[in-house]
This record gives sequence, structure tokens and C-alpha cells, in this order.
Amino acid sequence: MSTDLIINGLQQGLILAIIAYGIMIPFRFLDFSDLTADGAYPLGGAICAVCMSSGIPASIAIPISMMCAGIMGICTALIHLKFRVNSMLAGIILSTMAYSVNLRIMGRPNIALFDCAGLFGANIGYNMLIIVAILAVCVIPFAVFLRTDFGLRFRAVGLNPSLARQQKISIEKYTVFGLFIAGTMFGLAGSLIVQLQNYMDVGIGVGILIHGLASLMIGEAIIGNATLNRQLVAPLLGALVYQQVQGIALSMGLAPSDLKFFTGSIVLLVIAFKKNGGKNV
Amino acid sequence: MLEINNVKKSFSGVFEPVLKGIDLSLKEGEFCTLIGANGSEKSTLMKIISGEYLADSGEIRRSGEVSQVVQDVNKGTIPSMTMLENIALSRMKMPRFSFYKRHRSEVVEKIKSLRIGLEKFVDQPLGVLSGGQRQTIATLMAMNSGSKILLLDEHTSALDPKMQTLLMEYTAKSVREQGLTTLMITHNLEDAVKYGDRLIMMHRGRIVVDIRGREKSELKISSLLEMFHKFEDQSLLH
Repeated sequence: MSTDLIINGLQQGLILAIIAYGIMIPFRFLDFSDLTADGAYPLGGAICAVCMSSGIPASIAIPISMMCAGIMGICTALIHLKFRVNSMLAGIILSTMAYSVNLRIMGRPNIALFDCAGLFGANIGYNMLIIVAILAVCVIPFAVFLRTDFGLRFRAVGLNPSLARQQKISIEKYTVFGLFIAGTMFGLAGSLIVQLQNYMDVGIGVGILIHGLASLMIGEAIIGNATLNRQLVAPLLGALVYQQVQGIALSMGLAPSDLKFFTGSIVLLVIAFKKNGGKNV
Repeated sequence: MLEINNVKKSFSGVFEPVLKGIDLSLKEGEFCTLIGANGSEKSTLMKIISGEYLADSGEIRRSGEVSQVVQDVNKGTIPSMTMLENIALSRMKMPRFSFYKRHRSEVVEKIKSLRIGLEKFVDQPLGVLSGGQRQTIATLMAMNSGSKILLLDEHTSALDPKMQTLLMEYTAKSVREQGLTTLMITHNLEDAVKYGDRLIMMHRGRIVVDIRGREKSELKISSLLEMFHKFEDQSLLH
């Protein structure tokens, strides 16, 4: 495996980690099977690409993308809470609708950003540093929040909803808040990837949920999630390992078109491994 | 104070109401034990008091928040959270944007007061403890929540005899100290006689026995057992 492939894998892995954190929040803290990632990630990318091609600087385009994707997360939560639609179905419906919205926003299926000044440059080390800094700015405040009174109540919502109700915790409010935060993370990842690739395609979100989920599960399989610290490290570790495994598979001759089959197989293997270990996925 | 006036409850598909007009008034700080055969609808009454079920008719007045401990320890605790996190969660009616670990020394003192050596597990996930130890923590959480009314639904029934005695002694002591208005369901007639200021018995959705004061303190298990069998025999005849 070449050094380029390893470094490229690290870059992609760090962005994938942001998605894995976005998936971890509803799946692990709210007991909410949220599939919004497939729609919110390209929505973030589309908005960022359109903003930047219109001359808006990346420092403004990224927060706009995050807010819009966050609002999409709120919509998923409200559809589930107000209309009693199954959480997965709510995510699928919104992700399907987001495809058309993204096309409307972009005006065409893809946008090239080679002439736009984004966050990233030609120096790979500098690019990695920026992604690490952004990841730290997202994850550290969230880790601190989880250790406050509010964070403890937030975690209780998914772990024991009946106890949470008994403690007068509003499951609805915390679910809306959690899905908003998860949505902003998907939007952030989308806006970073289009800047890294200098290109936005309306189809970038297809299967992204399964990549993020695979990362989360690989991380949890490696270090577990018995403690809060382990749970918070698992998405990052899993995403980095997952991208390197993909790189190894490609360098060994796996066709890029077979990657989705490969990803699905990894997810199934991790599930089988966890089930045999007596843990729920 | 807990006041229940003519509370009725039916379930769809069941011909007659399961609660047939319950009247019960508990004074501030009163400790009442509730006994009755399976199917006497003790738990239904408890769920109506806690707000889990809505009564079809009647009135319920509560002087403050209600906390409860049920038989299933998994419902009252979060095994993957540490003991500190569980207990800190129970006292957070007014959460703040500060670290919950600020409660640590206070929580450790509370656990020490149990006198069963659980304080060394304060930072361990609750799941590492035995069922009895977790139920003790669940009871402590209910006591710690600042509620005025405490509901106990067979909270010692899944424990071994030693742990049952220990938890009942702790419960009775804390209820007295905090002046909690308490309603405790139990199938253990010894506990029903030994603990509490008052004893009520339910039979087929009605309160059929209400003993308090001197009569309660002089109550013998044999006479309680006699009453219990009298109602059971009646239901066999019907």
C-alpha cells in the first residue's frame, strides 16, 4: 500500500469520523435509529458548494451548511415525534426528498470548485491539521456537555426512557436537540469533503450512513463502549481503521465498484462478532 | 399527603372495572403497606397514583412529586451508567450547566449511610453490582429525588432474605427521617405487620381492610393471615 493511499485514507477517515459521531448521537445516546445522514451529508455539501461558487467564503459557507443540515435533523425528529412515523422511515423519507432539494439548490448534478478558495491547500499535512482542529472543536465541547447535568439527562433518554420520564426529562426536547447536533455534523462533513475534493456531486450521500455505521461499530468492536470515554473514542478510531482497511482492499486489487459490497460485508461481520460476544448492536 | 377519591379504572376487553371506586387518604409522612392476592389490582392502583395510567373517573390529589421503586431493577436504574451518575441523575429536578461530579462527596456519604460497603463502587457501572445491591441503589435514588410521595411496588421481592431485611430496614429508616408519604405493596405479611403505620388490603379492585393506629401496632401475622384467607375463600366460592 502506497504512502499516498495511507495519507489519503487518514484524511478521508477524519472526515468520516465526523459522520460516525453524528451517527453515534442518535443511535447510542437517544436509542433513535436515524437514517438522515444519507440526505443531510449531501445537503451540507450542496449548500457549501453553491455558496462557495457564488463567492461566499468557506468560513461562512460551512456554518450555513451545518445549520441547514441541522434543521433537516430537527425535521426527522419532529416527523417521528409528532406524526408517530417510525424513526427509520422518517429518515428515509427525508433523505429521498433531500435528493430533489439538493438538485434544486445546485441547479445541476455536479459543481466543480477548482477556482474557489476553500479551507484546504496543496499541503496534505496542513489539510490534516485543519480537519483535526475542526474535529476537536466539535467533539471536545460535546464530550464536556455529556459530563454536565444536561448531558447526563441527555444520555439517560436513550438508556432508560421510562426512568427518564420519571425524572421529568423531556424525551422530545432532547431528541430534537440530539438530532440537530447530529445533522450539523453531517452538514459539516459534507461541506469539508466537497472542499477537499474540489467537487460536489449530488450522489455523494449514497451509502454514507453505512460507512459511518461501519466505522462506529468497528471502533466499538476494538475498544468497546462500556465507558463514556471509550464511546467517544470509538467513532474516530473506527473511521481511521475502516478507511485503512478499504485502502488495503483497494491496493490488493479490489475494484472500486465492489467497495459497497465490501462495506456491507464488514458491517455484517462486526454484527455477527458482537452477537456471538453477547452484546447488542 | 395523598388523596384518592372514588377512583375507577377499566381496561378494554375486560367486562367489569378493575378498580371499583377506591377511596384512600394518606396523611403527610404516613407509611402505609398494601397487601392483597395476585389480581387484586394493587399495581394498577399504584400506576394510577404515579400517573402511568389515567383513571376513568375519580380524583387524585398529590402534595408533591411522586417517586417509585418497582420490582424490576432494570426499570429504576441505568446499568451502563456509574453509581455516581445514577444517583446524580435522581436529584436533578433543576439541572445546571455544571459538572454532575460536583455531587460526588455528597453521593459517597449517602452510599456510606447504607453501611453495606458499596461506596467503593461509586465510579463503577451499576451493572457490576448484584440485583440486591442495585435495588438498594434504586431505593436510595427514589429517596434522594426530593419527592414527597414514595411508591414501593414489591421492591424487595426479588432479593434474598438477608438483603430483603437490610433493604426494608433502610427503607423504613429513611421514610421516617425524611417524612415521606409512602405506599408499599408487599406479599410478605411479616413486613406488612412489622413496618408502617397503617395496613390496607385490596381484594378484586376494592379496599377491604384498613387497619391503623393501635390496632395496627397490635396486629398479629396469624390474624392477618386469617383475613387474607377469608377473602381468598370468598373469591373461590364466587
